[in-house]
Amino acid sequence: MIYPKNNRLMKWMFDTYVKWLVGNTFHQFLFNTVELDSNKSVLLVANHFSFWDGLILYVLNDKLLHKKFHVMILEDTAKREGMLRYAGAFSVSKNSRDMLESLNYAAELLSEPGNLLLMFPQGKLYSNFVNRVHFEQGLLKIMKKAEGKFQLLFAATFIQYFKHKKPSVTVYLKTEGERYSDKNINELQNAYQQHYDAGKLQQTEIDIK
Amino acid sequence: MIAARRKKFLADVFAKYMHYRMRKAFNKLEVVNKITPKPGYSVLLLCNHFGWWDGLWANYLAYWHLNRKSYIMMQEDHLQARMWLNHCGAFSISRSSREMIKSLQHAADILNDAENMVIVFPQGELISNHTTEIKVEKGIERLIKNIKGPCHIIYNCALVEYFESLKPSVYFHLLDLGVAGELSFDELTEKINTFHRQALKDQVNVAH
Repeated sequence: MIYPKNNRLMKWMFDTYVKWLVGNTFHQFLFNTVELDSNKSVLLVANHFSFWDGLILYVLNDKLLHKKFHVMILEDTAKREGMLRYAGAFSVSKNSRDMLESLNYAAELLSEPGNLLLMFPQGKLYSNFVNRVHFEQGLLKIMKKAEGKFQLLFAATFIQYFKHKKPSVTVYLKTEGERYSDKNINELQNAYQQHYDAGKLQQTEIDIK
Repeated sequence: MIAARRKKFLADVFAKYMHYRMRKAFNKLEVVNKITPKPGYSVLLLCNHFGWWDGLWANYLAYWHLNRKSYIMMQEDHLQARMWLNHCGAFSISRSSREMIKSLQHAADILNDAENMVIVFPQGELISNHTTEIKVEKGIERLIKNIKGPCHIIYNCALVEYFESLKPSVYFHLLDLGVAGELSFDELTEKINTFHRQALKDQVNVAH
């Protein structure tokens, strides 16, 4: 398993570059504000359709949530994109004993109120046009281990062009009060699905002026 | 109405320049199912309209896949702001005016020549890329009726994805709608909508 690295200079470089990159690539960055409990860490659950969505949510954290950013990524990606480790990325490899270590580490992170853990429960990249968001089991295991120490936040991200040369990004956020420790992954998936569908509907019916 | 004053040289330079710009801005432009227009037929290309780029994508299709001289129908105020496009094959249409009939007739006249292709956005306005319904404006019916020469109708559903790349990729799903006059307007609308919904489903399984 690959752990995040602490290096203030590298972190600053990553931070500056990503903020510039996201600001420069997108015409608009839209999101809704949410009320958060500052005594609890945040578990951010998001859809995964591109390499961008980690970066977008990194910037969102900077703009809105102000927590210490962590993200679980695939081991291959962590090896290829070493820079991500300075931004709090740690690896998970599916179907290996290492996975348990990654899940324990993730749960540990959530016990610190200042942390934010971003998870892509889909486990790999899917199209931006999927109707059903499929969840892998790992997320629920982390939630059970860190029970009561975090607050759950759903994010649904969409990118569209509208009438501009550069695309615009919209992130729909929603806090989820429900506890899932005694429930199964399908119930969690359905709760996220509802939020995703609502966001997608808004994107579909958007009035482009 | 502003009629097209297409100059081959200017249109070619513009298309080549925009091809260069697109190669820079996009990861790839992929035609999911290739369609070769019938030889000796002009092409009416109906496209979904959701962004700044889609007229340029359609122009790219005209040059590099469908091999026809491209003409494009634009809203009058948009064309007036960019009159140089007039020399690249753009002509105007303004809704809710008598001039509209002239524009539709102009488009039909262009299509009488088998070398030509007209790009039209049947939705008539910008609609989200996630929409599951393509509203086809009534003007299309009139346009198709007015075409005298043989004309091949193609619908193009463009969908934007990112996947592993930081640059977006565009996937073109093309539908062969046969020869003008073969289908009634309602059949045409229904076929487009069924195909569009299927394209959205197919897009989920596209290789990346």
